[in-house]
This record gives sequence, C-alpha cells and structure tokens, in this order.
Amino acid sequence: MSDTPDSTGVRRRDFLKVLGVAGAATATVGCGNTQLEHLIPYMVNPDETVPGVSNYYASTCRECSAGCGILMETRDGRTFKLEGNPAHPLNRGALCTRGLAAVQGLYNPDRYRSPMMRQNGKLVAVTWAQALKTFGDKVAELQANGQAANAVFINQHETGSFPAFLDEWLAAHGMPAHLSYDALADTAVIAANRQSYGVAWPSLDFTKAKLIVSFGADFLDTWGAGVPQQLSFADARAKLVDAPRFVYVGPRRSLTGCNADEWVACRPGSELAIAKALAGTGSIDDAARAGDVPAETLARLKNEIAATKPSLFLAGGNTAQAMELALAVNEMNKAAGNVGVTVDPKRAIQSFEGIATPAEVADAVERMRSGKVPLVMIRGANPVFTFPKTARFSEAVMKVPFRVSFSLYPDETAELADLILPDDHPIESWGDSQPMANVISVQQPGMDRVYDTRQTADVLIDVAKANPKTAGMYKVPNYREWLISRFPGGVSAFTAALETGVASGAVMQRRATPRQSTPTTPAAPAIAETKGEYFFVVYPSPSLGDGRGANKPWLQELPDPVSKICWQSWIEVHPTTAKKLGVEQPGDLLSLETPAGKITAPAYIYLGIRPDTVAMAFGQGHTAYGRFAQGTGVNPFEVVPTVFEGKSGALAWTATKANVAYTGDYNALVTTEGSARQHGRGIARAVTVEELRKGHLESGPEKIPGQAPDEFLPGLRSPVAADAQGVVVQKHAKAYGMYEPDNFSHMADRRWAMTVDLARCTGCSACVTACYSENNLPTVGAAYQNARLLEKPQAGANILRGREMSWMRIERYFEGGEDLVTDFDVRFTPMLCQHCGNAPCEPVCPVYATYHSPDGLNVQVYNRCVGTRYCSNNCPYKVRYFNWFGYGEPARPQYAWPEQMNWILNPDVTVRGKGVMEKCTFCVQRIREAEHRARAEQRELRPDEFTTACAQACPSNAIVFGDAAHPEWTVAKHVDDPRGYHVFPELNTFTAVVYMQKVTHPAPDAPAAE
Amino acid sequence: MTPRRKWAAIPGLFALAAAAVLMSAYQGASSSPNRSPAQQQAKSPFPEQPAHAPWGYWGGSTPQGRAPVQPINFPHPVHVKTLGLNCVYCHFSAFKSTDPGLPAMSTCMGCHTIVGPNRPASPTGPARKSEGITKLTAYRNAKKPVPWIRIHKVPDYVNFPHMAHVNAGVQCQYCHGPVQNMSRVYQYAPLSMGWCVNCHVQHKVRYDCSVCHY
Repeated sequence: MSDTPDSTGVRRRDFLKVLGVAGAATATVGCGNTQLEHLIPYMVNPDETVPGVSNYYASTCRECSAGCGILMETRDGRTFKLEGNPAHPLNRGALCTRGLAAVQGLYNPDRYRSPMMRQNGKLVAVTWAQALKTFGDKVAELQANGQAANAVFINQHETGSFPAFLDEWLAAHGMPAHLSYDALADTAVIAANRQSYGVAWPSLDFTKAKLIVSFGADFLDTWGAGVPQQLSFADARAKLVDAPRFVYVGPRRSLTGCNADEWVACRPGSELAIAKALAGTGSIDDAARAGDVPAETLARLKNEIAATKPSLFLAGGNTAQAMELALAVNEMNKAAGNVGVTVDPKRAIQSFEGIATPAEVADAVERMRSGKVPLVMIRGANPVFTFPKTARFSEAVMKVPFRVSFSLYPDETAELADLILPDDHPIESWGDSQPMANVISVQQPGMDRVYDTRQTADVLIDVAKANPKTAGMYKVPNYREWLISRFPGGVSAFTAALETGVASGAVMQRRATPRQSTPTTPAAPAIAETKGEYFFVVYPSPSLGDGRGANKPWLQELPDPVSKICWQSWIEVHPTTAKKLGVEQPGDLLSLETPAGKITAPAYIYLGIRPDTVAMAFGQGHTAYGRFAQGTGVNPFEVVPTVFEGKSGALAWTATKANVAYTGDYNALVTTEGSARQHGRGIARAVTVEELRKGHLESGPEKIPGQAPDEFLPGLRSPVAADAQGVVVQKHAKAYGMYEPDNFSHMADRRWAMTVDLARCTGCSACVTACYSENNLPTVGAAYQNARLLEKPQAGANILRGREMSWMRIERYFEGGEDLVTDFDVRFTPMLCQHCGNAPCEPVCPVYATYHSPDGLNVQVYNRCVGTRYCSNNCPYKVRYFNWFGYGEPARPQYAWPEQMNWILNPDVTVRGKGVMEKCTFCVQRIREAEHRARAEQRELRPDEFTTACAQACPSNAIVFGDAAHPEWTVAKHVDDPRGYHVFPELNTFTAVVYMQKVTHPAPDAPAAE
Repeated sequence: MTPRRKWAAIPGLFALAAAAVLMSAYQGASSSPNRSPAQQQAKSPFPEQPAHAPWGYWGGSTPQGRAPVQPINFPHPVHVKTLGLNCVYCHFSAFKSTDPGLPAMSTCMGCHTIVGPNRPASPTGPARKSEGITKLTAYRNAKKPVPWIRIHKVPDYVNFPHMAHVNAGVQCQYCHGPVQNMSRVYQYAPLSMGWCVNCHVQHKVRYDCSVCHY
C-alpha cells in the first residue's frame, strides 16, 4: 500500500476512496469512445472487391534476388499479408521469413514520405515537380557538357525487364550501363558456375542425391535461391530411409550446418584443400593438417563419396579462395556424374544473371574518389552499409558533386544523397522478373501508394519526356504501359498473367554490360597468413539478410534460428575458447580487434564453432535506416578488411584473423532460449535411419486400453475429446449439449489437428513470421517500447524479461557433444499451443476464459480474460503469452504498430489489449472463414481446403493442418505415422499436435576396406 | 511489510477484486446497467441521445435505441415500402461477406441522376424540393462520399458474419428491426452477448465462445 513509515489508516481509506471513484469513473467514462464512428462508402464500387472479403493479387517478391511468386492478401484497399504463390515454379506456394516481412517495409513508419532535397546541408521535403525538374536539369546539364559518360548508376540486383529498360534510358542520356549489385550474391560461385556450366546458377535437385556435401554453402540461409533449395532439401529428407546423408564442411555450424548429419569442423580457408583431398586430387594428410580435421574422417568420407552416387557437392564460404573452391566442387560434381542429375544447368535459375561483382562496384567507388564521377544514382542497394568500412565508400560518394538516391528508406547510402526520389515499394509497383528460362513472373501493385512516392521507372520516363533530346523516346505514358507493350502476347497475355502471376516467355534482355575498366584486384593473402589469434568468420544473417531486414521489427524480433538471439549482435565462441578468454557466462562483452578496427559485442557460447574461430553475423549495426534498425547491434564490417577474391571479384568477408579479449563488462543476451539441452524430456525426438529401417522407434502412438478406438487421433482419448466424439458418453444423455455427437451443430464431428514432420523441418522460422503476420502479434523489443526498464535503453529489454509474444517458436536443442569434442546433433521443434484434449490451462482459469471447443480447439476468449495468468503457469509447454503492456493500444508508449504500421493488422483477428492472455488459436479465423464459405456454397468442407498461416508459409512443407477425424484430410493420414509422438505424453494432455521424429543419418562406423 | 500492514492491504485487494468483477461484468457484453429504461424499450424511436455514447473498444456494443442524426435523412420507408427495393440492392454483400456493404455513391446516383431534388406530386409525397437529394447531389458534385454515422457496432473482439445469418434465413429485421418503417434508423436490438446467445440456443446453433470471439 504505502511505503512511508508514517502512513496511517486514514491515508489508506483515502486511497481506497480514490480507488473506488477511479474505478467507477473507469466503468462509466473510461471505456467510452467519444468519437462518432463513420461509415464511408465508395464513390464507385470496385468491380472485383467485396467488403470484408480478401482479394489475392499475384506478384513477385523482391526481398532477395531469387524472385519468388507471392500472393498479396488485400482487403479494403490495403495489403496486409503475403503468401507464397502455389502456381509459381520457383517457390511452389512457400515463402521465407524475409519475404513474409516485406509488408513491414511497405508500411514502415520511417519510409520517405515525399521527395527530399538537400538545402543548406539538410534534407527537406519538396514536391515531385521540383524534384523531377532538379534531376532532369542535372541530367541535361551533364549531357550538354559531355560529362554524362562518367555517371554511375548502382541498382539493387533484380531480373526482369527493368535492368534492360534502365540501360536503355542511361544509354539515351549518354550514360554507361548500370551496375546491378546484390551484397548477398555468391559472386565467386556464380563466376565458377559460369565457367563450369555456362550459367550463373544451375537448378539443384536434392531429392535425387544419396549424399550431400556442402563446403560452407549455406543453402538454407542466404546462399543461392533459398526457398526452392529448401523445398527440395526437405523433399529429399522426407524420403526417410532413402534420404541423402548430409555432410557439412566448415568452421561453424550455420543453420544449414545444423541440419547436417555430420559436421567436419575445418579451419576457415581450408575447404579447398579438403575438397581436393575428397575428390582424390589432393593429399588427405595435407588437407587434414590444413583443416585441422582427423585424416581418418577425410579418408572415410572419400570412400563414401566414391561409393555413393548420385551425390551433390556445393561450395560456398566467402573466403579469398572461394572461386577456386567452387571450381573444384564443380569438378567433383562432374566427376561423380551429378551434372544433369542433381545439378542441372539446363534448368538454370536465372535470378543471378547480369549481376555485377563487388569488385566492379568498388571500381566505380574508386572513380568517385578520384573525382571523375559527376553524378551517382543509387536505387535500392545500400553499399555504404554492405561494404567493409575500410573501403571508405561514404567518403568516395561524398566526392561526387551530385548524388541521387531512389531509396525507400533513410539508409546509410540515402543519407548521403542530395536528392531523394523515393521509389515505390515492390508491393506498389509494376514489373516483371525472369526466375527461370521461359518463365516470366509478373509484379503488380497490391494497393495504392502508402506515401507520396513514385516508381523509379516512371520517374525516368517523366525525366526523358521533359528533356527535348529524349522526348520522343517513350511512346507510352508510364512503365506499366511500357511493360505491356513489350509483353510476349500483348495486353491479353499480360492480363491473363496477372491472374496466376506467371507467364511463359522471355523478358527484354540486357545487352552485355560494357565494363568501364577491368577491375584488378590484388591476390588476397590466405586467411591463415593474416595476423591474429582467432579466425574471424563473417556470415550474413539468415533473417536480416545483408541488413535490409533490420528495419522490420518482425525480423528483429525473430530469434536467430541458430543462436536464438534477437535485437542484438553477438560473437560466437566455442566453450573452450570462452574459458580461455575468461568468459564466464553468455553475454560477457568481448572486444574483437583486427588491423581494420575494433568492435565490442556480447559473447554467445556456441558448440558449433571451432575453438580457434569466432564468428559474427552481419545485418545489424545500422547507423541510419529508421527506428528499429538504428543503433541495434554491431556491424562486423567495421573491422573487416576490403579483400576481394582475385578472379571473380567477390568480396571475401572471412578474410582475416582477429584478436579477441574479454572486456570485463556484461551485456545480457536477448535470447528466447530456455535451455539448449532437452534434459531427457523427449521434446525433439529423432530416430536413426538404421532403427527406422528395422522398425525400432523410440516411441510410437500410445495405446491406452478402454479409452478410445484404436485409430490414432490426436488428443482423442482425452475425456473431453472423447465426449466430443461420442466415444465415452452415453448417446442418449441430453446433458452433453454440443459435446454430444448428434448435436445439431455437428461441430463435434471435426477434430482440428496438426502434424509437424521434424524430418522436414530445418528450423528456418518462416512459420514464426507468418504467425506474426496473420495473428497481429505485437513485437515488444524495440528500444522505444522499453526504454524505462533498463538503466541503459536497449532494444530487447522486454524479451530479457521473457515478454516476447511469439505464439509459435522454434526450439533448438543440441544432442551429444557434451565433451566439447565429438560431433553433435541439432534438432528443431516448432512449439505452439498443443490444443490439448485434456488441457492443464483450462481448469485453472477462474473466469472460464479458456475452454475446449467441441471441434478440438483450446480457445482463449480475450474478453473474458482478466489476466490472472494461472493458465500460463499451468501450461507445460509454455506457449501462452501475456500482454504486459498495451501493445495494441495506440495511446500507449509501447504501441507495437506506429503509424502506418497499423495497416498491417489482420481485420479478422482481435488486437489484444493490456492484461490479456493470448496464444495460438490454430488460426481459428481461417477455420471460421472456410466454414462460412462452405456453408454459403451449401457444401461440406473439402479436405485440405485451407490451412493455417504457418503451414501455408512453411518452405519445408513440414507442417500439415486439418481435420484428423475425417480420413481424407492429409493430417488424418499423417497422424498414423509410426514416427508420430506427442510432447510430454506422460502428462496426459492428449495434444492435438503430433510431431514426427527426425531421421538422422549418422556417419557409418570406421571406413570399410574397399 | 509488517504483518499489520499486510492485513491492511486486504481490503484494498478486495476492492480491486470487486472493481475487476464490475469491469468484467461490464465488458462482457451483458445488459449494461447504465442504460435508461427508455433506451431498453426499442419501440420508442429517437430517444434523446447522450452526447457521448458509452461504448468503445473494450466496452461492449453500441446502445440499444440509439438513433443518431445522419448527414442525409435517408428515408428507408420510401425506398423499401413505396418503391419496393430489396435490402440487398444497396447492402449488396450481406449474403456473401461478413460485412453487409454500404451503397456506393454510384448506387445512389444510378437512380438519383434521374430522380432529382425537385419532386413532383407522386405516391411518395406531394410536390416538394427534396432536402436529402439536394444534399446527395452536393456530395456527388464535391466528389465526397456521404459520411454516414455508424449505428450498429459490436466490439472489436466479436466477429459477426452477416452472410452466415442471412444465408441461414435470418431476416434482416430480426436484428435490425422494422427498418422499412424507420424514418430515422435506430438500433433496435441490444446487440448484447446474452441476446446473441439466446437466439443461438433457441435456434439450436453452436454457441460456444470461439464461434464469435477470436
């Protein structure tokens, strides 16, 4: 009550009086919304829309170079959810976490809201007329004085007609072709593929392989075209006993490495020697010495490789020898006869065609530095951030007298510009892309513009038209018309393509990029020859990419799939290294020093890294880029030297050793992980392929006699569920109401259930972001949401207190490796509300805010909930989340959707208020919508007619949702799987989520003499 | 805290609990205690409107009997009874969406470009200049939609699918009252949870929480 020692009863009574009055006031006035609500009809109803019903527009994702097909769920003129386009050949309906978060870029509160011009050193908003005139005048001036040929245009790499269109425009204005830059592209591998196969990226078929060996190729992170690779890999793993064994060779276990059956922990830079040894062209002993790996392992692998066909070898790793490695690996594929089987250059992925190398960009930077460049134009790319600081990119850019940016966001590069002509977001733009030969993926706006922006192509057309010299260049008013005029098949084919999102044909091709000069890069020293105590590995963040994702709170809040850390940067160190450094706990601050500089970040003690190596992800540490990115984390490019791979012109991120020291300070790790070990709880179970072959499973479906029929229906043998299905109750008993099977509503017929196939799951976390998107989950970690909780304002403070709201999380467990030497297994388990048939949360709720619905859902009723949190305390799965603050209330400082981010909210789902418990609903809004639709069409639900958001997005097809009580649904077939198990069956919770055990393929024992 | 202070805290906790019960009782969309009897009798049209209606995000549905003055005094009786328009002519998505749909300006002007403000004597009334059509034309000329004032609103945590009810044969009037007789539309039904559930029970349809609350 009162802390002061002289407090009296009178004071208490006063307090109670105040409380009473305040309570009454709240009851009468506080709930009132004094604003009149208006209903604003259309002037003219758009033909294709029905209010309250979503439209799905097909388009192309532009979050990375791959160019997957997306469906934009749009209602009442705003796009609020992205899904993969099932008709698209690349991603077949799946979508990765970065693609799902594209809508947060669209509504980002920090986007440029209008064109900006630098006046007196400050960017001020101007009108489009002013901005276009300034830009047009500058271009005309350069044309007139003959300077145009030295202008530089750097574009974010994309395929499709736009690069050709842009080149055409530049040529008409006397400017050289643009540089198509992507910081994430595996330039060395692309160059090697061109040399070996003549294409940038052959299609990879994991399903045909019997053995996969990856030399640092993180094909489940950011290497190549992520979603198609993950789909194929998961399909391969789903073959169970026939699935390929996967060996990962590299200094640290990335997300891809965590999915491997065996990890060969080699030194950074030694992959080439190992590849040669395994291919039989190099000495095993030398390779073992260079890589610090046992020679027996390499000998065994060599035999295995020779004996197993077809196989698949992949090269990655951004070292200074990356291209040589990629060439050697391509040779291995050729020698093993994999070309045309698992590696198919004939069905190449064209997403990386026409890409510029970082060396070419660096060459342009040097020209800027020398003062020869009169105008630089940058669209989409953020080279100031994605180049090492030692390249001194910003300094060079500032030497250019006039700098134009087409960026959507105030990123590090755009901040240097004199003129900002903000581009439309891809969701607001027209365009196309060519992900594969004879496949055009069209891009159309899902909605009208959020801010006063303009598509760059339209800006260029307007500028050309305003210039007398180029006025006749375009016969069409805008880029859309330009696109249609060139579309194979014309306007009718274009219109047809907009429906499915894909068409056959080829887009306008870019002519060979004339290079200004051949970039010469000095041969880089091998990493082993650099000075320092520890190898320093730098890798792109699987969720933030090259840093483009850092301004999207969903991606910031998404725990890194491997480290489970969010809103932060960290340095990965091995436990023995930590001990050596004097690091006692995760979060102890380490300083990392190279000749290029020094940074400080907390330590994350990780089993999956070599003891002589430390690693850091890049993507964090922005100095601009909006409220969610700026000041969050550390950028490892501060300390990376600018080293190029000599032949391909790729940037070598992993190029130096570093000295690491414990600073004595501590900065708590913002992690959502409880324990990295299962402690015998059997949450993430696995079975070896041998056991599976023999039929020995760790656990099968439990048999409880007398409770239920023998069919294995999830959760069906619980008392409540059995009542619902009419197994236990006497059918004539009237008191059972809707739980009675002959009930009028027939709801008890259904049994919503989910299966999660851990053999497929790679832990990529796309499902988590899909859940955030579908269910209006607030992010709680932004610095502004918790500044007052810690002495030092820090992003993620709420998460330090366990207040994250992710209804679905991926639990990552390590098995084995306790001695810090032997290899270990990594298991991923998506954990969500298990919708227990016999739920521990239900009986403890004092207000019946949670109950079991007759169709098998464990329901949380927000308006009944008074926030006692008993349910959360009693939940053995810890999948209930409490609104500690008013994340959903605009007036509160913790509001999670600052204007215009609130347009992202799904209108079908309640935005929860403060003091309310929430959890996974099995996407009940989708269930109800499908039921209503079926009813309106006077039919029954069709099997697999709809699914939950997580299952829809999953790029591994690991999650299946449906009605387990009707045998024709896929989920009903899956629950019978002998690998199926419940988590914590001993608690008799009878969950509706069935996991299917992971299948491991351990290394065969000592190499057989062959 | 000394034991004495602990005891002293208990009445406060009781008060808190009582407040919580009151609040939750209010929030649950049960019949609201602060409605006047006049409001509860939906028969009496146009009761005096409170300036600030006590409903909102967390507070239950809009109050029964509420009849706000609309920007245009749209005469439902003329359109429905005299002219015989079906409800779904204007509320066009009531049978296919959760949202019943509001007529766009183009729907109004489909007739009212011909039926202008100067009305001759006809079965719908004596010769006169129609104030409503004059206003409507003004809105059209200004290219502005009519800012209707919302009358029926359930809280955000309730999902009411119109099409499920319309397709099940529930008459519009069952919930909205005799709109065809209302010269100014008022909220006929209480839209409280008890009122909803009663009907669901009577008509033997599912009435557990997750049917509407999610």
